Amino acid sequence: MLLYDIDVITPSSLDEALEILSSRKGRIKVVAGGTDLIIQMKDGIIPRRDLLNIYGLDELRYIKLDDNDMIRIGALTSFSEIASSETIRHYAKILADAASTIGSIQIMNKASIGGNIVNASPAADSLPPLYALGAVVRVASSRGSREVPIESFYRGYKKLDLAEDELVCEVRLRAMSDDEDGIFLKHGLRLGDAIAVVNAAIWVRRDSRSGLFSDARVALGAVAPTVVRARRCEQLIISKKLDEDSMWNAAKAVLESISPIDDVRGSAEYRREMSVNLVYMGLWELTHRSG
Amino acid sequence: MVQAQRWVGKPIPRRDALEKAIGQAKYASDLFPEGLLWGKVLRSKYPHARIKRIDVSKARSHPGVVAIFTHEDIPNNRYGPFNKDRPVLCDDKTRYIGDPIAVVAAETPEAAEEALGMIEVEYEPLPAVLDPLEAMKPESPKVHERGNIARQTHISFGNVEQAFREADIIVENTYTVGTQIHAYLETEAGISYFDENGRLTIVAGGQSPYRDRHEICSTLNIPEDSVRVVIPHVGGAFGGKDDISVQIHLALITLKTRRPARLVWTREESTIAGTKRHAGIIRMKTAARRDGVLLANKTEIIYDTGAYEGLGPAVLDVAIENCNGPYKIPNIDISATLVYTNNYVASAFRGFGAPQVLFAIESQLDAIAEQLNMDPIELRLRNALRRGDVGVFNNKLIGSVGIAKALEIAANHELWRERERYKSETARPWIRRGIGVASAVKGYTLGALPDKGQVGVELTREGKFRVRVSSTEIGQGVLTALAQVAADMLKCGVDDIQLVFADTLETPDTSVTSASRQLFLAGNALADAARKMLDKMRHVAAGLSGEPPEVFDFLDGYAISRDGKTRISYAGIARYMENNNIPLNVVGEYEVPRVEPIPGTLEIPHLFYMFAAALALVEVNTLTGFVQVRKLVVIPDAGKVINPQTFQGQIEGAAVQGIGYALMEEAKIENGILKTQNFSTYLIPSIKDAPEIEVIPVEDGEETGPFGAKGIGEIGIIPIAPAIANAIKDAVGVRPLSIPITPEKLYWLIRSKRSENGSQ
Amino acid sequence: MRRGSAVVKRFSFVLNGKPVEVEVPPAYTLLETLRNVLHLTGTKDGCGDGDCGACTVLLDGRAVHSCLTLMAQVEGRSVTTVEGLLRDSSPDEVQSAYAESGAVQCGYCTPGLIMATKALLMSNPNPSVEEVKEALRGNLCRCTGYAKILEAVLRVRR
Ligand SMILES: Cc1cc2nc3c(=O)[nH]c(=O)nc-3n(C[C@H](O)[C@H](O)[C@H](O)COP(=O)(O)OP(=O)(O)OC[C@H]3O[C@@H](n4cnc5c(N)ncnc54)[C@H](O)[C@@H]3O)c2cc1C
Ligand code: FES
Ligand code: FES
Repeated sequence: MLLYDIDVITPSSLDEALEILSSRKGRIKVVAGGTDLIIQMKDGIIPRRDLLNIYGLDELRYIKLDDNDMIRIGALTSFSEIASSETIRHYAKILADAASTIGSIQIMNKASIGGNIVNASPAADSLPPLYALGAVVRVASSRGSREVPIESFYRGYKKLDLAEDELVCEVRLRAMSDDEDGIFLKHGLRLGDAIAVVNAAIWVRRDSRSGLFSDARVALGAVAPTVVRARRCEQLIISKKLDEDSMWNAAKAVLESISPIDDVRGSAEYRREMSVNLVYMGLWELTHRSG
Repeated sequence: MVQAQRWVGKPIPRRDALEKAIGQAKYASDLFPEGLLWGKVLRSKYPHARIKRIDVSKARSHPGVVAIFTHEDIPNNRYGPFNKDRPVLCDDKTRYIGDPIAVVAAETPEAAEEALGMIEVEYEPLPAVLDPLEAMKPESPKVHERGNIARQTHISFGNVEQAFREADIIVENTYTVGTQIHAYLETEAGISYFDENGRLTIVAGGQSPYRDRHEICSTLNIPEDSVRVVIPHVGGAFGGKDDISVQIHLALITLKTRRPARLVWTREESTIAGTKRHAGIIRMKTAARRDGVLLANKTEIIYDTGAYEGLGPAVLDVAIENCNGPYKIPNIDISATLVYTNNYVASAFRGFGAPQVLFAIESQLDAIAEQLNMDPIELRLRNALRRGDVGVFNNKLIGSVGIAKALEIAANHELWRERERYKSETARPWIRRGIGVASAVKGYTLGALPDKGQVGVELTREGKFRVRVSSTEIGQGVLTALAQVAADMLKCGVDDIQLVFADTLETPDTSVTSASRQLFLAGNALADAARKMLDKMRHVAAGLSGEPPEVFDFLDGYAISRDGKTRISYAGIARYMENNNIPLNVVGEYEVPRVEPIPGTLEIPHLFYMFAAALALVEVNTLTGFVQVRKLVVIPDAGKVINPQTFQGQIEGAAVQGIGYALMEEAKIENGILKTQNFSTYLIPSIKDAPEIEVIPVEDGEETGPFGAKGIGEIGIIPIAPAIANAIKDAVGVRPLSIPITPEKLYWLIRSKRSENGSQ
Repeated sequence: MRRGSAVVKRFSFVLNGKPVEVEVPPAYTLLETLRNVLHLTGTKDGCGDGDCGACTVLLDGRAVHSCLTLMAQVEGRSVTTVEGLLRDSSPDEVQSAYAESGAVQCGYCTPGLIMATKALLMSNPNPSVEEVKEALRGNLCRCTGYAKILEAVLRVRR
């Protein structure tokens, strides 16, 4: 359905945006890059509403490393900017790797990390890295601002801890240090632009003396209503010597954390196997890196 | 005929390339005639339903809506190339999701779209039949009154049963092949208007202006000379624009409203309502002797043509003709059925029925080679047809047959000779590499069907030539190739050839642009026209100089006497002709030679065949089932390459379509609903999925073709899927019997083998 | 579903180097405006969903899908389409390279590919084969099999 009867309001500052959001609460929808929203509204997947166009709010476009070793990413920052940022490539490499797989260059140039977070697709590629890196989301409204750890931001399929007058403004992550490592894995049905059948991110901290993983986080996407942490799997790789058998055992433990469904990209059964196999491949890569 | 070749064989960039690259070329979807109405089509929601009532009154009174048409506005509401089974707008029933019910014409696109939602259609859903095997049962719901068997035939030569008894080995398999969608980048599109002479003009993406005109006129009951069909640049076709799409609907709007109209399908509409490659089931039982000689092949082919036949009957013939591969097999038996279902309409798609059966026979050959522990290329060479051989239908192969040569090139290729080394180069324990080979064959021309075409040539007063063909430029580069051929035949520069194409008013009927034979047919008709033209010019030169006509020869735009003393420019000749009222144009004609069809077929056998061999190097991720094609070597038997650049482009493009067909293009249909309606779910290969492709032409020369050329448009896709399937077998030890070989399908195959072996 | 009357607003932006103003619904896409309103048809519509790249234009110098860009997002910015690459009616080197390498068959994907190539070369004049493939991975071509497209791009890198 064409959008000729939809009005679009373009605020000139974040404050103005928050004002409009609060005065037209629930009757206006945010559009950032528009790469999800425009299609969803045309296809009638989401209700037709007037749009608040924040695409030009450059104050929400930044990548900063602050004095406390925290990386701050403005919500409007595009995946091109994230993928090519020296800061992200050095201190949050798995996020940069994920960013560079999002759609095509044209999508990466426009798609924002805030949009990826709020659109809340279970297959969103930035989310497993954000889970694995323990990111925190900052949201704001004309009432003030608050911070939510990424995992508690999601309460179910496309259910968010986000009020109608709130805007996501920033994501914050701790910069990775030299003893940390990680990997992003995405299984799509072609090498070009493809939505993940399953994606995963693994973050580990290596104990310099034993060479074992002293800490780990494993997150998987497209296998449950939200991205999930595979906690049982994490336990099986922390402080354990990892050989073929124990890697497979740990990988199989992800099955406890996931509840995939059938869709056009794959059956639930296939997604289960892919979850295990992707995590195995990730562990193999991590254990075969010198560290 | 020995002809000097100055232009033929040269890699001349296509003449329309720059115009397209700067964004100036106009496609049908780029046209916006003044005062146009926006057309939109209402399509069926049910795969099979009786239409009880259509109420357009609310929609008609919606602001901006000018007219709404239904079946009541169509005088002869059935069309189709073989069997007139398809309604312009559904009347009694809808037969697939997407069947057109009404056409809206409105002042704005918004009004047109909104009006669609206001048309009330009362349906009585009928049980749908979606599985071709089910559809064949007599008790199944009928898609058409005549029953669900659109065509069925049985052909047998020799005695297969006896051969099976005497054979050393027999391989028997059932193959399934999925629907493939053309996915051209430009959807079906067109405009219509009355021209200044009051002629109803349709400018639309298509492949055959004369056939489109015929369908428009016969359904709307208007005289053919009152309609002009023009086909401009087309954004891809591959057979998918061989059938009617927007043309009749556009003509209807303009005819009834007297206003110009524009109708462009959305991507979703194109994937739903556009025609497709036939899905099918192929059972094959193949027998061989211990030394590798093939003894018999028994084939059962079932093709799902969906709700309407389209070109299905001819597609089935091509399947029948090629299901034995390019091999000598003394005993064959083929039963073939074209089945109606409530699925999407299948018709022409590059390869036209051959890619499916070649996937089957080439997998069979591979399985035989494996059982005999024989080199797969050696097995193929042992059985390969050669020129002068008698084919499986007792038909003598009088044309060139380059398959053995192509296979020899494959056997000597580094990728084949050093395949063990290539296979060992893998980076991860779960990655396996494999190399596979396959052959391909397909007749070109329309086989035993009558096929005749005309080409006009006109000498302009500047001494250049205007060549008129109704061939369409669907991206294949035929116009550039024809210009090269014309320049060599008419002895002038390639830039002196102006081409007028695909317009029923301006160009004679050069027959349909399909079956890879446009260059062959138009080229031969052009040769006839060129002969006539040069003859005329020779006589004029004689008249002008007082020398006898036979002393004149032609070179670079001049008639030159044998002693070289008299040189008359083409412009001089043209002026003289004009001044003396000698017509400056001629028409050449060519009728493709053919034989009588064998009983039970429409157009089998062909006199001319194209061939190819291909090698594929694949990498399989055994933990995901994902296959990456790393390299393809395609060795087509080209006759003669007219333009190496367009030739390679055709083969490379076909090869990558073949990769899509083999691995990722899965039209998922559930309960009659296509689940993959856009490019994010119906995946076609991207640049990252395209491997290095080496193209090695075999140039054996086909004497009957222009300068020895054959058709090459389709052959490139045919060997790809089986070569990839065979490479996958080589890599992981399981034989895929079903394409597309998606990661999930292959994963389960590998997985079941792994659990058979009891390992991880 | 809501069926209001059309909202129309005036937008100013720079199109191929020249300031333009259009009055269109603000949620019209740039693609709809270029093709259906301005009849500047070099930019192609292959899907309208961001999946094919045929509609690629440069927005402030970066390759984006015009089918996923609202007019309200174009306000005050600069848009370059394939027509805007011509300099004194002579083709850009990328356009010539595509034409000469045989990278153009039906040509419907070509303008989008050329714009994506242009954007790549502006930020990275000497890309590797891998970088070219990444940059063009969202531009589908059904005709060429991509070999000649790759060749064309490699021909113009520094
Ligand atoms: C062809 C194509 C390919 C794609 N491929 C991928 C892929 O590979 N991986 C992947 O993860 N995604 C993919 N996507 C999805 C999409 O590009 C991403 O989800 C993108 O990050 C969305 O960002 P956006 O700025 O475009 O959001 P928009 O479309 O503008 O908005 C998305 C949603 O978020 C809301 N929103 C946006 N910003 C904010 C904010 N700051 N505060 C509150 N709400 C907000 C909007 O209201 C809307 O509901 C693809 C999309 C397309 C069209
Ligand atoms: S039309 Fe924009 S990506 Fe296809
Ligand atoms: S040339 Fe036809 S789609 Fe690329």
